[in-house]
Amino acid sequence: MDIDEYRLRDEPYYRTIGDEVRLFEAAYAERMPLMLKGPTGCGKTRFVEHMAWRLCKPLITVACHEDMTASDLVGRFLLDAEGTVWHDGPLTLAVRHGAICYLDEIVEARQDTTVVIHPLTDDRRVLPLEKRGELVRAHPDFALVISYNPGYQSVLKDLKESTKQRFGAIDFGYPDAAIEAEIVAHEAGIDRAAADLLVAIGQRSRNLRGHGLNEGTSTRMLIQAGRLVARGIAIEAACQVALVVPITDDEDIRRALTAAIAALV
Amino acid sequence: MAQGPSRAAGNKPERRLPHFALVDPLALQALEQGTAGVEFADVERELKAYVTALWRRTPPLRVLPGGGVEAARRTSFEGGIIRVPRAFRGWAGRSGRELFRAALAHVLAHLQFTPARFPLGGLKPVQVALVSLIEDARVEQLAIAQYPGLRRLWLPFHVADASDAVTAPALMARLARALIDPGYADPHGWVGKGREMFFADPSAWQEPGLSRTIGGLLGNDLGQMRVQFNARTYVVEPLYRDDHQGLWDLPTSTAPADVEALQESVRLEGRQQDSLGGGRASGDETANRATLVPAGREIGIPVARYPEWDFLIGRERGEWTTLVEYAPAQGQGETIEVVLERYPELVWRIEALIRAAKVSRPLRVRRQSEGDRLDLEAAIAAAIDRRAGLAPSAKVYARLERRFRDLSVLVLIDASHSTNDVIGAAGKSVLELERDAATLLGHAMDGLGDPFALHAFCSETRENVHYYRLKDFNEEWNATVKRRLAGLAGRFSTRMGAALRHAGRELAHRRSYRKLLLFISDGEPSDIDVADRRYLVEDARRAVLSLRQQGIDVFCVGLDAAGDGYLARIFGRGNVVQIDAVERLPEKLPLLYFRLAG
Repeated sequence: MDIDEYRLRDEPYYRTIGDEVRLFEAAYAERMPLMLKGPTGCGKTRFVEHMAWRLCKPLITVACHEDMTASDLVGRFLLDAEGTVWHDGPLTLAVRHGAICYLDEIVEARQDTTVVIHPLTDDRRVLPLEKRGELVRAHPDFALVISYNPGYQSVLKDLKESTKQRFGAIDFGYPDAAIEAEIVAHEAGIDRAAADLLVAIGQRSRNLRGHGLNEGTSTRMLIQAGRLVARGIAIEAACQVALVVPITDDEDIRRALTAAIAALV
Repeated sequence: MAQGPSRAAGNKPERRLPHFALVDPLALQALEQGTAGVEFADVERELKAYVTALWRRTPPLRVLPGGGVEAARRTSFEGGIIRVPRAFRGWAGRSGRELFRAALAHVLAHLQFTPARFPLGGLKPVQVALVSLIEDARVEQLAIAQYPGLRRLWLPFHVADASDAVTAPALMARLARALIDPGYADPHGWVGKGREMFFADPSAWQEPGLSRTIGGLLGNDLGQMRVQFNARTYVVEPLYRDDHQGLWDLPTSTAPADVEALQESVRLEGRQQDSLGGGRASGDETANRATLVPAGREIGIPVARYPEWDFLIGRERGEWTTLVEYAPAQGQGETIEVVLERYPELVWRIEALIRAAKVSRPLRVRRQSEGDRLDLEAAIAAAIDRRAGLAPSAKVYARLERRFRDLSVLVLIDASHSTNDVIGAAGKSVLELERDAATLLGHAMDGLGDPFALHAFCSETRENVHYYRLKDFNEEWNATVKRRLAGLAGRFSTRMGAALRHAGRELAHRRSYRKLLLFISDGEPSDIDVADRRYLVEDARRAVLSLRQQGIDVFCVGLDAAGDGYLARIFGRGNVVQIDAVERLPEKLPLLYFRLAG
């Protein structure tokens, strides 16, 4: 596997909101494992990509899911005609070659899976490959970043205390209206007035969080709506397609959102 | 005025008159059913979400009582409660929804931009009506500046036309339209004057005093034009606007039932603060006085005697405590209903969790020693182990399993005197918070379909441990149960052991796979006939141990920040959750339950 495939060539667009870039750089300099907290679609993944580009490091992203086992992260033996062959998992790859490993939505993975990162996230910085009888010492450039969405499901799914306490954390939220409009305008390629309107719509929908919606519309959704607007779709129709219909199946809430959008346009 | 049923009118024309004049209530009802519009109940959720999205608040919405013509034609707001007609007659389908939406948007514009009620002063009825009209237009203009789409929502209801007759109500409706519809032309001088004054300086719209000035002047003009204004028959136009009750500082009169319900909760809080008023000593005095009164009426039935553990002699004292069951007092059921409205976000979260927990999704169980299919990963691992010369695991099968919930829960609430302590900024007592929490928990457990019971206890000496069955396992979570919960009062002391044993006996009879006793307590076990602080702690610990031997999980939610020591001693360290900010109990308890029961 060629690690250079994981390098980012072009700068991913990221609009700085606070001093998160400086914080990340400082944490990386110390190789402190980082946790990015925030609702879905608020720019966590984009931020990591941007930082990997800035620091000129390869980035290996793993989307965690509940069926994931430790060997999905670490690697496994596979059988072929000659015998058993060891294949490094994404985490081992990052540890060996000094990449930034980004575990997206870590709470989705089962708690016993996530403990494999423990020896990597304290001063040992090693990854034991039990099956191979190998102890991989982390490349000096290796760093671990995880993302975590403290949404409503965190009652049932949560990180182990012992996992949590190994990380530094940066809190992400939806940016202020002006900054969010700037992001939407840039990413969707629409004028500022249309972006302002979309952001106002997004903010109203976030008022419904917990009153019918699990999450408000994310910046990502607003950008999607903006892209449709850029293609010449009327703003109300674009919002239907990109915001209202995807976010809920509840007829009452859909009607309320549609009416709220109509009030703003 | 004839009040008899319309059927009774027979052939007598003079008795038919009330029927067609819609004075007869039955006739009215028949008409309303005939031209059924959109019912508020059908659109309530949608409207609440609409209001929350745009204004970020959810004022309580109530249906106006009665089906009379005048009583239920306009929305009304007062004291933060919005009252809505049950239906706008004749407005069906989409237009009916829009009318409700327009009406609420108008009221919310008032709530946002009308800061205080206008003093009635010496204003004449016509001036009151006109000041209200200008105020309506003012708040609407401000709301439109914020939400331009509202103009499109409101405009279709302005149907007054320049060709209408020159009567006071018609002129006022025309003025109302002239103030919102830029495309409307009206030749009438009075309407034109009103429009000119109103639009002279849009920056003045921020000031509510503007309505008073313009409305007063226009009222005088209307008087000089000798146009008759009849305050008794006047109805606000257009349809979506409110009845102006909330704009004026009037002696309150409407809807006594609701106001009563609101005051009830206020009164409850007030009473508890009173009883705490005069320092510690007098507080105890009030407690004694308060218990003497109901004790005469309250008759309990001794149902069981339980042993108590004496740690000094290392032995149980047989039949030492007497458990007496009392019929729970009944309170106002509404207080419980209001609880659900007070935590809308939490209720939503609970319901989402219920939905998630209810679906018994098949679960893939891997690495089993038997099953109906091979677990490929385990099989490969075993093959590799064999080649590597290691002992392969025989657990290479997988199967699908459905997990069903089979759980009985008994919630035991500490209702001792100390729960009357008022804590936090919200000014609520511990007992009220326990009650709120129990309500939300009940809502969750009822939604999940888990059988549950809700009991409470307190004690006065070993001879009389009070026990209240608020809800039994076989009872529905209904209005009676809620009234009992509302009637719960905090008195006497906390003798945990006897109550735990009694609750445990109840649970032991349940045929469930899992039995859970959830204990909510605010303090250390104590009773007036026990001097040694350790005695009751050791007894409670003994009771918990014996319950655990019977296969009952006992879990405690402690509300005493300093309770770490004794609660862990009684229940075991892993079985206690301390809630340091008691205000958050209603939020924490149901979520904790999902974790325990999940």
